[in-house]
Amino acid sequence: MDTAPSHAPSSTRWIQEGILAYWTLFWLLNVCDKLIGGAHFMWVGRDRFAQFQKYFASVGLDAPWVADAGLVVAAALEVFALVFCAGAWLHFRKSRPVQTRSWFFVGVLLTLGTFTFFSVGDHWFGDRFELLEHTLFWFIAAVSWVVFVRLEHVALPSLPRRIPGGAVAVGAALLLATSTSIFRHNAQGFVQRTAPLAAEEVGDHLYKVSFPFLGGSTVFEETLRQFKAAHPDEAVDHIYTVPKPLRLKKADALIFYISTDDKP
Amino acid sequence: MKEHTLMRGAILVFWTLFWGLSVVDKIIPDVQHLWVGKDFFALFVKFFASLGLKDPLFPTVALAGVSGLEAVNFTMYGVALWAFWRGRNAQAEVWFFRGIFTSMGLFSLFSIADQVFGDRFQLLEHGLFWVILLCSWILFKFFSAESERVVDLGSTRRAVVLGLALTLAATWSIRDFSATTFDVGSQPAQGEEVVEGVWKFDFPFLADKLTWERTVNAFTAAHPELEVTYIYTGPSELNTKKKTHLLLYVFTEPRQDH
Repeated sequence: MDTAPSHAPSSTRWIQEGILAYWTLFWLLNVCDKLIGGAHFMWVGRDRFAQFQKYFASVGLDAPWVADAGLVVAAALEVFALVFCAGAWLHFRKSRPVQTRSWFFVGVLLTLGTFTFFSVGDHWFGDRFELLEHTLFWFIAAVSWVVFVRLEHVALPSLPRRIPGGAVAVGAALLLATSTSIFRHNAQGFVQRTAPLAAEEVGDHLYKVSFPFLGGSTVFEETLRQFKAAHPDEAVDHIYTVPKPLRLKKADALIFYISTDDKP
Repeated sequence: MKEHTLMRGAILVFWTLFWGLSVVDKIIPDVQHLWVGKDFFALFVKFFASLGLKDPLFPTVALAGVSGLEAVNFTMYGVALWAFWRGRNAQAEVWFFRGIFTSMGLFSLFSIADQVFGDRFQLLEHGLFWVILLCSWILFKFFSAESERVVDLGSTRRAVVLGLALTLAATWSIRDFSATTFDVGSQPAQGEEVVEGVWKFDFPFLADKLTWERTVNAFTAAHPELEVTYIYTGPSELNTKKKTHLLLYVFTEPRQDH
């Protein structure tokens, strides 16, 4: 039984369109990631070539064409999943329920096929975390299809257009409070991305540096520069990074100790 | 083809491959040419050792038992897939149920072990697999109850042409990226003096231990006046950008004899 979505502009239709939009965008961005390749200004993405290359090299297949071939197969599956999910969305917008269902079904089948393909690789290369990730996506795709189909038989009431003024006022107040807090923290904390840190002497020729959460390589380098300038008679002998089990959960970010010797 | 046939086929293929490859992973020990897999023996040895059971007999027996159960699982899914392929849907359903039920039992055993050994991440992982198996069964049954709806796509010519064009574009992009970056993995990384006497090396994603060796050798050859006193591997917290793979800092002092 098909229910024409245009006849029931209810929350059912919103959820169905949300499902189609999600999978279309999901595959669109995955395809973009394959087309762009590498990290660029305004796009980082995931370096799948390096990942595939390392996987295949780990089983002794280190010729680049092998990784290329694997990636091309994955890209082809993703492209066709995109085409069919986007086609389903287009049919949905044009209120063609039969075509919407069929096109989305093929999109879901291709999605399941893609994640099955990835899962085979995860077993082969021994990546259990990715196996869990891909199995979850496989499951989410199958459930999306079931929900989409089930909603064809459900006529939920339309969303009320009137929004209570009290809810708007509370929402606006919370928005103001969170924005003020974020902007204030930005004004005080953004400098921590680059500012050097003070090294605290905790022992003989032993100095502790505690990083803020925003600190990165620039902070590390600036801190070293400042340390060397402040201690011209000492040479860095060793830097010890405190391992995570020794940190106080999330309260401690990166901590390292600088051990020095007197310069000859 | 009919919707429910295709969807049930997709579910059966996934779980048959899942358990088939799990069995293969148990048959092929350690890392071999053309197979890496997961070293479950080492994992089991560590788990049992943490309980104080250091005799290798314990992990060996446990792993053999688990492997046997996985082999039984795989056989059930294999029979279900074979019956499905031959159009014997009732038989496929029975064997798929047996496979699912046994798999859920296996993941229950794993979850008990995770609690005993205190591995909460694996407990989450096995709990998720358990629920996915359960839902797979519901989906499988759901499709058996659905109407025998045939997939009717209408005209797909433009979609196929668009798909082929995008695949060709992606293939060109992948080949181009591969050709321009593959050598990066075997070339030494370039250093930058970020503090006096401290050189930073930003390693690319393809870099491995050989790149590290080449980098250090190239650096010492290019700077005979410097003595490497210390090498510091930047912890992951220093990689604020996702495009940084590994940071290496080389500390140097001027050579006294130069």
